[in-house]
Amino acid sequence: VKRPRLLGLVLKNLVSKPATIQYPRVKTPVEPDFRGVQYADLGKCTGCSLCAIECPADAIKMTPIPPEYEVPKTNPRRIYPLINYGKCVFCYRCVKVCPTNAYIATNKYDIAGVSRLTSEVFSLTTLRRVGS
Amino acid sequence: LGVTKIVEIPVVTAEIPVGPQHPALHEPLLLKVYAEGEEVVKVEVNTGYNHRGIEKLCERNTFYRDIFVVGRVCGICNAVHANCYVRALEQLLDLHPNKRAQYLRVLAMELERVHSHMLINAVMAEIVGFETLFMQIMLDRERVMKAKEILTGSRVLADYMMVGGVRRDIDEEKRQRIRELLLKLKPRVEYYRRVFEEDETIVKRLVGVGRISYGEATSHSLVGPTARGSGVKIDSRVSDKYDAYGEIPFNLVTRSEGDSWARMMVRWDEALESIEMSIYILEHLPSDGNPVPDEKRLPRRFPPGEAYTRVEAQRGELTYYLMSDGKGQNPYRVKIRTPSFNNIINSAFMYIGYSLADVPVMLTSLDPCISCMERATVIDLEKNTRYRLDLKQLAGGKL
Repeated sequence: VKRPRLLGLVLKNLVSKPATIQYPRVKTPVEPDFRGVQYADLGKCTGCSLCAIECPADAIKMTPIPPEYEVPKTNPRRIYPLINYGKCVFCYRCVKVCPTNAYIATNKYDIAGVSRLTSEVFSLTTLRRVGS
Repeated sequence: LGVTKIVEIPVVTAEIPVGPQHPALHEPLLLKVYAEGEEVVKVEVNTGYNHRGIEKLCERNTFYRDIFVVGRVCGICNAVHANCYVRALEQLLDLHPNKRAQYLRVLAMELERVHSHMLINAVMAEIVGFETLFMQIMLDRERVMKAKEILTGSRVLADYMMVGGVRRDIDEEKRQRIRELLLKLKPRVEYYRRVFEEDETIVKRLVGVGRISYGEATSHSLVGPTARGSGVKIDSRVSDKYDAYGEIPFNLVTRSEGDSWARMMVRWDEALESIEMSIYILEHLPSDGNPVPDEKRLPRRFPPGEAYTRVEAQRGELTYYLMSDGKGQNPYRVKIRTPSFNNIINSAFMYIGYSLADVPVMLTSLDPCISCMERATVIDLEKNTRYRLDLKQLAGGKL
């Protein structure tokens, strides 16, 4: 039985860089359309709750918008989808079924942290505060 | 050293539990091995450590939510699970996706087959004690994962199948990038195949271990590469020609040896076939319309009826039975039969006569996927017995 010639591979690996990515210090390269964190643009959201009904992981809860924000007239019930990213499976069903295409899809994937992350921080920045 | 006394140890059968948590096994499965000395005389396969109630969960969710639920049955083969379920839904609705969507579906499934076969071959290299090879194969597997990320938007969980088509299209740039990745991967897979063919460590551990004859493979209804390694020509892609498999040229790989080595070689040859198929798809992708259906306009109501579909998953034939009563938005019944269910439970005969150290090798050569296969068992804890119930009793809750 002949051995495969490993010598070339050994020499190549001696001069090449390590394949391991030092993750928190170096970001993993992902595609621009990678399915990352998604959140609703509240300027377009009508509060119809279809995404919360269709979510396979039950990660979306319709939540009242705090009173200090100006809400467009198309959202009379003043509610918005609050996504719990700990439960979310990033299947993008909510993005695809939204009748007003209100969802903003990003390729952000590094959401692990000490506090629980929800879409509140992203969604509410799309609205103006009252008086500002 | 002068020997003064010889103690004879009588040969007794020892019961050795291998698993469910065991350093040599990557899956939660209990093999109760009865050994006389080093020789295995009997093996009992014990399952039930990974049951998650997916079928019941499917009955409690809507038809569309279930597409994503069945994708989570198994991480490695999520696209084939979703494809099988989606084709069952299309059978109920009498919908036919266009050619481009069918080609893209096959592309996603074949990329998945490449990375699954590379994974189990890497695991096999680790089990036989060749950890460098494990690292090397896993490094090159990243190329397929990247190709899958470009195609579907995620490395592992594709969520690519939708009733009436796929969930995203590819453009010219993506097509070129996936093609380049595959062309770079192909010589590496050929190299690893040669390593499995020529390397002394691997050949010594695998050749002649866990032999299954043609007759045994058919009488125990083994499926997939396990059966094809024994020369059985069984492949749903060839016999059913679902999606675009009727138009894409590929060879059915079989080997006659029937041992662990033959099963691994079938996987390498299939991985090479899959790479060829993927490149063919990328070069001959038809453009007969939009493959992405509008998910807002898909039919909400499903007519009453039954559908039964099968796909060739990486481990063998995977079947879905779907029943709709036409009343609500949920399926009445979803029955999943995965290939590992056949391959693991029916293959206890294979271990007999081999050494105890070969048990992990033989199990790995079957490509076990326990999270796929765990379905329901009824156990009475008070009386410490287990029994079967027919479906009517189980649904009615009466004993």
